Amino acid sequence: MSNYETVVGLEVHMQINTKSKVFCECSTEFGAEPNSNTCVICTSQPGAIPILNKKAVEAIIKTGLALNFTVNKQCTFARKQYFYPDVPKNYQITQSEPPLCSNGKLAIAVDGKEKVINLTRIHLEEDAGKLVHEIGSRKLDYSLLDLNRASVGLMELVTEPELSSPQEALEFLTELRTIVRYIGASECSMEEGKMRCDVNVSVRPNGQKDLGTRVEIKNMNSISGVRDAIAYETERQIEVLSRGGKLVQETRLWEAEEGITKSMRSKEGALDYRYFPEPDLVPFNLPDSFIEELRAQVPELPKARKARLIKECALSEYDADFLTSSKQIADYYEEAVNAAKNKELAAKPLANWISTELSGKLNASGKEISESPVSSKDLSKLVSLILDGTISGKIAKTVFEEMYEKSVDPESVIKEKGLVQISDESAIIKICEEAIGESTKAVAEFKAGKERAIGAIVGLVMKKSKGQANPQIVNKILIEKLKG
Amino acid sequence: MDEILTVSVKDLRIKILSGEVKSVDAVKACYKRIKEVEPKVKAFLKLNEEQALKHAAASDKKIKSGVKCGILEGIPIAIKDNIMIKGESMTSASKYLENYVSPYDAAVIEKLKEAGAVFIGRTNMDEFAMGGSTETSAYQKTANPWDIERIPGGSSGGSAVAVSSAMAPFALGSDTGGSIRQPAGFTGIVGYKPSYGLISRYGVCALASSFDQIGSFSKNVYDTALLVSVIAGKDYRDPVCEPTEQTDYTAGLENPDTLKNLKIGIPKELSDYDTDGEILKSFEGVIKNLQLYGAEIVEISAPSYKYVPALYKVIMCAEVSANIATFDGIRYGYRSPNGISLNDEYAKSRSQSLGYEVKKRILFGTYVLGAKNYYRCYHQAQRVRTLLINDLNKALSECDFIFSPATLQMPVKFGEYLPEECDIFLIAANLGGFPGITVPCSFVKSHMPMGVHFMGKRFSDAKLFQAASAFERISGFDISKYPKI
Repeated sequence: MSNYETVVGLEVHMQINTKSKVFCECSTEFGAEPNSNTCVICTSQPGAIPILNKKAVEAIIKTGLALNFTVNKQCTFARKQYFYPDVPKNYQITQSEPPLCSNGKLAIAVDGKEKVINLTRIHLEEDAGKLVHEIGSRKLDYSLLDLNRASVGLMELVTEPELSSPQEALEFLTELRTIVRYIGASECSMEEGKMRCDVNVSVRPNGQKDLGTRVEIKNMNSISGVRDAIAYETERQIEVLSRGGKLVQETRLWEAEEGITKSMRSKEGALDYRYFPEPDLVPFNLPDSFIEELRAQVPELPKARKARLIKECALSEYDADFLTSSKQIADYYEEAVNAAKNKELAAKPLANWISTELSGKLNASGKEISESPVSSKDLSKLVSLILDGTISGKIAKTVFEEMYEKSVDPESVIKEKGLVQISDESAIIKICEEAIGESTKAVAEFKAGKERAIGAIVGLVMKKSKGQANPQIVNKILIEKLKG
Repeated sequence: MDEILTVSVKDLRIKILSGEVKSVDAVKACYKRIKEVEPKVKAFLKLNEEQALKHAAASDKKIKSGVKCGILEGIPIAIKDNIMIKGESMTSASKYLENYVSPYDAAVIEKLKEAGAVFIGRTNMDEFAMGGSTETSAYQKTANPWDIERIPGGSSGGSAVAVSSAMAPFALGSDTGGSIRQPAGFTGIVGYKPSYGLISRYGVCALASSFDQIGSFSKNVYDTALLVSVIAGKDYRDPVCEPTEQTDYTAGLENPDTLKNLKIGIPKELSDYDTDGEILKSFEGVIKNLQLYGAEIVEISAPSYKYVPALYKVIMCAEVSANIATFDGIRYGYRSPNGISLNDEYAKSRSQSLGYEVKKRILFGTYVLGAKNYYRCYHQAQRVRTLLINDLNKALSECDFIFSPATLQMPVKFGEYLPEECDIFLIAANLGGFPGITVPCSFVKSHMPMGVHFMGKRFSDAKLFQAASAFERISGFDISKYPKI
């Protein structure tokens, strides 16, 4: 085993889920025509003045409250200065001290045990634009600039250096993403650049208190990439140290295809950002009532919800995990349970229907549960119809197909197709007698003691009744007839 | 000179709205005067005669047909070249913005358009409003009409000269550290800088955002108050702009008893500076006159006046260094044709398009914000700023207005420099966000005008106009007197 331990801290940038940018009214729509979502403010033309989007502040505070942060009531902004073509002002407006939120906590599960990671801060800042250096395969001798993303609101969450393995980082990011999505503060989709991560990695001999030389890996855009980069970097650093080498503090880039990190720039000539208070945005104080209003809007978080569902709905750990993996799914499930005639009985079958049939279909068509053609109420009705014996589980699958394809309610499908289960004994007796008459071989085998042979007769009954005979009644009558 | 040009906006407005004078004739009179005088003073960077006449004709038609007219319907106005008018060039007197066309209207322009004012041209200024003489313009130097060998002051020198030499009835300027009130004082007209937050800065090319305000030049205080009634008020696009209940700033200007109820504070610190002897003598006369009309004169003190030049320079340059950073040659404006790398492109675009004064301030601002100097310079200056504001608020609790000469020296000849304490009583208003107004009071030194300055509490602008107007009535300065050029 290695004599070194890994120390990881994360800086996570999440795009705030607001319709307009943080300092102007431009749309934040993803994938729009380059430079179509821009105005004089986000392109920083003369006379432009930033105006703060209140919704962005709200989203950060809600996130902070969900992650046990202290919300700082004082809100001030600063200019962080550096020249770069995709930063239209050549400075970035960012929140200065204090950040909106400080000292938070997030618990993650590591090998079945809980570990609490301390969170340093969350602050508000604006995003930069995007430089396009190549289009398709043709290398350009110039660069193109797309400012659609410039001045989109970001929240930057910084952790203490308390993660100690690639797996922990993965668990942390997954948990963080689930919570932030629950709150609706960010979509956190890494493929759309709505969640990006800088990773600080260092190693130190086991037992040493001081941190080792830190390497920063910039702009990671997938959670598995973060895990792999930490694994690679840990090995690289241990290797350098074991052969007596020295590490330099530097910024590195993750080359996903090669699976390695590469040096980008050394930290020695540290940039002087010349921060100073943003004179256009007057510092202001957040009233307690405002913070309390937001606290009331923070939804029940996945962990608490999972525990509650296990208790209230008698769900398995596995089902509860799946159902609380997103707020939308959990909301859908609870709406369905609440609509059921018998909530206690419906809870488990509804969990099954959602995790298998419905999510299978949604996945196949690439839809989110919010776009489901089957409403939670209709799914609830379907399950109630099974429970009260109106249809069999098998018929229900046929009904569900129709419901999904045509977005209709189960009763109309059943009515239209005449799929009601036959539970009338006299009708079933008649079909059973016919079937016994036609199954000479199976009857003989059954009477000779081979009880399994009844299956063939049941099958015939079901076939004759077009699947509508109540299978339990069929079984009961056949046994009576054959034994009697 | 055409008689139209000698009347105040107050009277011109009545004449135009009553149909006695046509807006077209007023505009024509301005251009006629411009043709005579402009070659000597060079106040304008751009004139738009054709468009202005078209607008004036439309105003005349509107007035004749009895349609509801704007407050300033058909009145010509000159606009400083750092204020956005949609579709017009806006250079801020810099080569960098030589080809820049405003994509939108500044908030004040929207309001002026709604009020029916006619824009006759863009006035010259110091580059990006950096300077106190209108000599740093990348295009031309504007001359003082009272002595064309002297500076008109700055940075709004073009607007000051447009009004003082009767080429326009009034004009807009911007005031960051006395940039309206100093040239108004140097050219014998009324110059006004509002309380910080009274008038929206949206659409004004920023110099130092925590000081900048839009203000006006006019022949008398009433005209200023009339203009402010049009352009003041809450604008959600400028976060520092605060809502005010006042809508008519001309009310109470004629009150004959204003001076009898005024307590006027004279800063003790005035004697600490080397003030021009004739200005001082004249100012003493003014004080006696005020007392004669019933004003109470008290001595006040703000010991931190002495820090004004230094702390203004530090904070202003710090903000400049960030505000001008946007002019990098990448997205718009001047781009050097021969940059060979990204940093080279930045360096060449900026060195080739920005003037000496601008570069000097960027360097100084960058220096004071550097990690090594931040606490020693910038942070310290902000602390002293608070000290000064406290001093001034205390002084203003002991009197209604702080009263001083507008400037401590007379305008110098081109190429000469004014001492930096020349404007401290003006700059103090910007540092504290206080409103200030300069009013001409007399002629000194071979017929150069001099002005006095009233500074009031924040958002006491309406009261400031009443005091300045009362002073104007007793000063004996003939506002219809124009320089003979």
